[in-house]
Amino acid sequence: MTSPANDLIAELVGNLEPVKPLSFTRGLGYTLAAAGVSAAGIAVTMGVRPDLFAGKVDPVFLLSAGLFLVLGIAAAATVIVMSRPQVGNDHGGWVWAAAMAGLLPVAALIVAMAGASDPLSRASIAHGLDCLTIGGAASLLVFTVLVAWLRKGAPTSPERAGLLSGIAAGSLGIFAFSLHCADNDIVHIGLWHSAVVVIAAAIGRSLVPRLVRW
Amino acid sequence: MRADEASLARLMAMSQKGDRQAYATLLAECQRWLRRYFARRIAPSQLDDLVQETLMALHNKLATWDPSRPFLPWLAAIARYRWVDHLRRLYRADECELEEEIIGNDDEPAITARISIDRLLGTLPEPQARAISLVKIEGLSIAQASQKTGQSESLVKVNIHRGLKKLAAMVEKA
Repeated sequence: MTSPANDLIAELVGNLEPVKPLSFTRGLGYTLAAAGVSAAGIAVTMGVRPDLFAGKVDPVFLLSAGLFLVLGIAAAATVIVMSRPQVGNDHGGWVWAAAMAGLLPVAALIVAMAGASDPLSRASIAHGLDCLTIGGAASLLVFTVLVAWLRKGAPTSPERAGLLSGIAAGSLGIFAFSLHCADNDIVHIGLWHSAVVVIAAAIGRSLVPRLVRW
Repeated sequence: MRADEASLARLMAMSQKGDRQAYATLLAECQRWLRRYFARRIAPSQLDDLVQETLMALHNKLATWDPSRPFLPWLAAIARYRWVDHLRRLYRADECELEEEIIGNDDEPAITARISIDRLLGTLPEPQARAISLVKIEGLSIAQASQKTGQSESLVKVNIHRGLKKLAAMVEKA
């Protein structure tokens, strides 16, 4: 006896093709490769900070770039996990990395209020906009890779997946650009470099869900 | 005979490699499992549609199952996602009575309890879960649900809206 469900099963069986399971390692590998290409692109086209090769690296740069890198990897790893649904999956690990990176704008505000730096000067704003623009552009490749991965996957929360794709792309993009940006001022880094992550997150949250819904 | 987790996982691994016989068996088992899974959580006339939608989602997302992990929590995540999506699309169902079939007699009761739809609904505050159950699952009107719960009509609507939003964000919660 045939029923619509049996007909459907027969059709699906007829259409079966071998598939390669989505692998976490492969997904993260593509993402890190994209981040590496972005960083190499910045280094080749714009050059790297002089202190990187002088053996006298500024600690503010080290800490901030490290925080963005860790946040980018944590968010990207969560996106990859989200592409393979499973009741019982935990998608919360990135929050701690975000909380740590969130200290950068907080520190920037405290230092700016103390008057140690003038974030509203014309030169500061122009330099900040450069970082925002180029850091944002450096995010695009990682963003594209993550969205493509999510489209192959089955994220059950497209909104959160979009938000995290933006955070990952923005963090890895500004990490790439910080290899060039020689400004060690915590106010500049905390406000303008963090803004790249915030804006990328907002774009990811609003744009990605419609691209990855299934 | 009902297939257990290990058999389903084995069938799925073979299906990912393109074994059509294994896939036919797997889909037939999944169809039975999904019917039990959704039985008390969807109006009976919509059960077939939801099961078929979920089977199609399973087919389209075959590559998202990781052979090193259990099968049923993966299937349940897809089923919950489709169920929440179905409820969101549903404006109003006509059915008022639900079948009282029990799904809790699977081979792995602990896994079944963790991945059940009841557990997902249980993550909601009681007024939201009740509003969704009455209107979206049992098919009552907003006015009838309002009378039955003592909530105002606008509160029923708000509870449904907020509850569905929360469910959508909690699909993978065990």
